[in-house]
Amino acid sequence: MNMNKIAYSVFIAFVASLLTLISVSALSSSEREEADDEGLDPITLDELAEHDGAESCWKAIHGRVYDITDYVPDHPTDDEVILEWCGREATEGWDNKRPGVPHSPRAEGMLDEYLIGRLVDEEGEPVESEAATEANGNANGEADSDQARLSPAEDERLHRALLGLPLDGRYRGVFGDGGEMQVNVQFDLRDGQLSNISYRHLAYRDVDYRRLDEDDDLYPVWVQHQQLAEGLEGQPLTAIFALHEPERLAEDIDGYSGATLRGNKVHSAFRDALNRGVYSWP
Amino acid sequence: MRRWLRPGDIALIILLLLPLAVALPRLGGLAGPPEVWLTWVGRVTGILGLAMMLLAGVVSCRAPGFDRPFGGLARLWHLHHWLGFTAFILVMVHALALGLAAVPASLDAAVATLFPPVSHGSIWLGWLAWLALVVFLAPTFDFFGQPHYQRWKRLHLVSAAALLLGLWHALLLAGEAWPWWLLGIAGLGAIAWRKGVAPRRRHAYRVEAVDPLARGVVELVLRPEGGGIRYEAGQFVYLSPLDESLSAGRGEEHPYTIASAPSDSRLRIGIKDLGDASHALQTVTPETRVLVEGPYGEFFGRRFPERDMLWVGGGIGITPFVGGARDLAAGASVDGHVHLFYLASDSVRAYYREELEGIAEAHEAFAFTQHYSRERGRLDEAFLREHCPDYTEREIFLCGPPAMNAHLRRLLAGQGVPASRIHSEVFDFL
Repeated sequence: MNMNKIAYSVFIAFVASLLTLISVSALSSSEREEADDEGLDPITLDELAEHDGAESCWKAIHGRVYDITDYVPDHPTDDEVILEWCGREATEGWDNKRPGVPHSPRAEGMLDEYLIGRLVDEEGEPVESEAATEANGNANGEADSDQARLSPAEDERLHRALLGLPLDGRYRGVFGDGGEMQVNVQFDLRDGQLSNISYRHLAYRDVDYRRLDEDDDLYPVWVQHQQLAEGLEGQPLTAIFALHEPERLAEDIDGYSGATLRGNKVHSAFRDALNRGVYSWP
Repeated sequence: MRRWLRPGDIALIILLLLPLAVALPRLGGLAGPPEVWLTWVGRVTGILGLAMMLLAGVVSCRAPGFDRPFGGLARLWHLHHWLGFTAFILVMVHALALGLAAVPASLDAAVATLFPPVSHGSIWLGWLAWLALVVFLAPTFDFFGQPHYQRWKRLHLVSAAALLLGLWHALLLAGEAWPWWLLGIAGLGAIAWRKGVAPRRRHAYRVEAVDPLARGVVELVLRPEGGGIRYEAGQFVYLSPLDESLSAGRGEEHPYTIASAPSDSRLRIGIKDLGDASHALQTVTPETRVLVEGPYGEFFGRRFPERDMLWVGGGIGITPFVGGARDLAAGASVDGHVHLFYLASDSVRAYYREELEGIAEAHEAFAFTQHYSRERGRLDEAFLREHCPDYTEREIFLCGPPAMNAHLRRLLAGQGVPASRIHSEVFDFL
């Protein structure tokens, strides 16, 4: 058999395989669309929010809810990147793998395996993602603005704002001294409780603590700061005053005493965050 | 094709593996579920396929002398042919493997991987490259019978588009771009040289005489207008006649073997009426111009210079041996003794015979035996043994019609002559 014949045979086999793939896909997807969203379990935002960590991670993407707990360890990026979106409406993260670049069609296919339900509001109506809502903004304008215009008697966010209570949302704040930014914290506030506390910056005298290796002398100090954040996780906002006595939250490590940790600076960054107000809405 | 690796082959293999070697660390492993190894296979075949396409372009440059490290132009053309078809097969395996790798996710994902939204331009560039390959390879699938050679050659230029599109596809997706720039410039540069520069570097000759040798066979005697080409015995050239009165093949290039000795001031070419172009050349007008490109091939490339030689020429396949004998007659030094067998159907078709007999009489190092198939049937072992008892010990050179070559190869293999000691340059479709 000469090369021409082999190439010709492969060519025919290739085209036939493509046609098979396309036709099988077209035929099977028409079935699936019939069994569309109506058949899926309704899941509310509150239920979704309960699954916000590595032990159980649910995400709402384009109105559907996925339980990706089993997939988290396989995701190509650091766990943090994917865990950040657990328990939330995560369409934005999905559509922006890199800024402006959505996940691939193949990833979309993998996502389907983890589908567990559809996102609904308290009345059981489907909830669309923010992006989709914006896009449909004009078409559904009236219905949306009815919901947005709550009576002053029932608008809790208005009440909290009037009383000077911090609103739910994401906060960011910094502490600086001597012309140097030393602490930058980020946290979420939900029903008055702290969550997702992280340091966006932590430095002193040109040492960037977040970049230290485990064998660096000052590494224990970074660990202690992480302990501060972990200690506050899930606590009421008022717990930030414990930072004035950091030994309550951080252990002594390698001769670095928890008591001498500059918890005040972290506290100050939290207060700065609250002063600035909500950085982004939940 | 020879089983021996030539220096050129080794260079080709290194260039072929270069992009793969550079990319391999980032391709991950083969171990794991099907989607992992299918992705790996898809990427590796894509990288090898494009590298082969570009190298097929590189070896098509047909620069005189470039073919020598590959063992002659005929062998280089086989390499080109092989690289091109293998590349075509590999790029299809590449696409299918990547598509199938997405099937475990879902069928829709598989289809979307192969046919994504138009915004994923890099994938569509790959498809366009494949389409270009199909366009110029389709005639070789023999849908419509044997393709017309000159038309097919023009269509083959679509390969440049395939290379460009494939290269673009890879540059958008590859991690390291430099191996692709290297191979891309080499491949496209070779095509540009072949189509743009080389035609202007051909040597002009004048037809001094058209000597008829037999019915349908002439020897063209060509006088160089400038320096002319430098060649070795047994090499061949591409000849483009410019005679306006030719009935066919004017300005077309076709390969012909040189029958003159390198020391001859004239270039002599034996031409048999085998097709439209060679038919027209039988009556080419003297003093018209021809353009000559070459020389190519290494017909008498020795592998066992310590051995004597057996030359067997049949029909118009006698021409390289005529060149070799004339070279010998002109005083060229040859390692070992030469025995030439000339296979013809009868004395009318045994052109060049008298001249070859004359050379054999005058030179001890050269013996000549004529064989007529009309009298004795096909050349057999007994005839060879009778006239050249040590023929199995010699380094053997064959040139003639494919059936004769096949017959002689069988005969020689039956006598225990290793294939490595048999040379034959068969060129069809060059």
